[in-house]
Amino acid sequence: MSNSMDLTLDPPGTYVYTAEMALKGHRLTAFGLSLRRAHNREAFLADEAGYMGRHGLSDTEIAHVLSRDWTALIAAGGHLQAMLKVAATVGQNLWHIGAHNSGMTVEELMAICPRRISAIPGEEG
Amino acid sequence: MARIVGGFGISHTPSMGLEFDKGIAGDWAPHWKPWFDGTRPVKDWLDRMAPDRLMIVYNDHLNHFDFSACPTLAIGVSDTYPQADEGWGPRPYPDLPGDTAMSLHMTERLVRGGFDLTVCQDLSVDHGIYSWLPYLLDAPWQVPVCPLAVNMVRHPIPTSQRLWDLGRAIGTALREMPGDERVVVVGTGGMSHQISGARFGIANEGLDRWFLRHLRNDPQMLVDTPQEDFMRLGGTEASELAIWFAMRAALSEEVAEVYTYHTFPAVTGCGVVVYEEQG
Repeated sequence: MSNSMDLTLDPPGTYVYTAEMALKGHRLTAFGLSLRRAHNREAFLADEAGYMGRHGLSDTEIAHVLSRDWTALIAAGGHLQAMLKVAATVGQNLWHIGAHNSGMTVEELMAICPRRISAIPGEEG
Repeated sequence: MARIVGGFGISHTPSMGLEFDKGIAGDWAPHWKPWFDGTRPVKDWLDRMAPDRLMIVYNDHLNHFDFSACPTLAIGVSDTYPQADEGWGPRPYPDLPGDTAMSLHMTERLVRGGFDLTVCQDLSVDHGIYSWLPYLLDAPWQVPVCPLAVNMVRHPIPTSQRLWDLGRAIGTALREMPGDERVVVVGTGGMSHQISGARFGIANEGLDRWFLRHLRNDPQMLVDTPQEDFMRLGGTEASELAIWFAMRAALSEEVAEVYTYHTFPAVTGCGVVVYEEQG
């Protein structure tokens, strides 16, 4: 469990949501956003794989959702705001995504947040 | 003509709203209580200002918009703005009231002034507005709002200078709005935070306080700071600070800073700054 923070915007520390990410994750993000509707949440929970198949997700994407592999989903272009809706639907939340991304348990992550750093633009050591 | 009486910048987060609801029900989370206490003077200030309208520049989090159509700048033109379902059901609040005439005036002036806004006659609003509004104004809300949404979910996002220029144009348009309404301008976006990737939870309080300290006196220095620096040092979502420029630029240069507060309840830097026009 490390609390050191790279001051760069490179993966796996940071996934900047570029146009490339948006195109790559188009169906994944659309699937996540479909869960803004209560009746879609019910349909998804009744048959996760079937629901995702109907939304055109690939077998790999479906496997990542079924195993709650939030890091693979973010790397695949699933927008955080869309994956957050998937997490909420299955009874998880932002902490589960963050912990998976950071390689920690939820308890470990919560214990070290906020992860304080100190740097001002133009005044970096 | 309408009059801008002041403005404020404020953070927003989903948990901020959910924790407020729990607190009102009698269960204040200790780490969130300082923020709700710290923003109480903003509510008192709003009571004193008695605005007739709120002009709110905010960002949607893929709750109304999605990537089938993701406008860079969008304005609501409606007499009501319902709450978006963010994936866990709506909170128990009424819809936001709008003022179609005000929104049409703003659309007319801003588009003619060079800002090609997407015009939304059906706009639902998410925690970008609903997370802080319930503790600054008592529901059911009597003050109509004019919401203007800025893309912060997908790069490229608008530049800081563009949002500064937008704020200038908003200020001019409001001052030329027929009637005698008292208007408060709001800019809302998170301060330092990042909610994905291994840097999840990065927290740079010094950056946030530096921003709050300079927004009144030296905004151009902040506008000139590369957005990438805010994201590197404050987390990717610190880019939302650019929205605060639209609020600051709508106000006069000599506006008075009457209140500021900052804390880190969980993973998002939460700050507020209040400006009041003199005379």
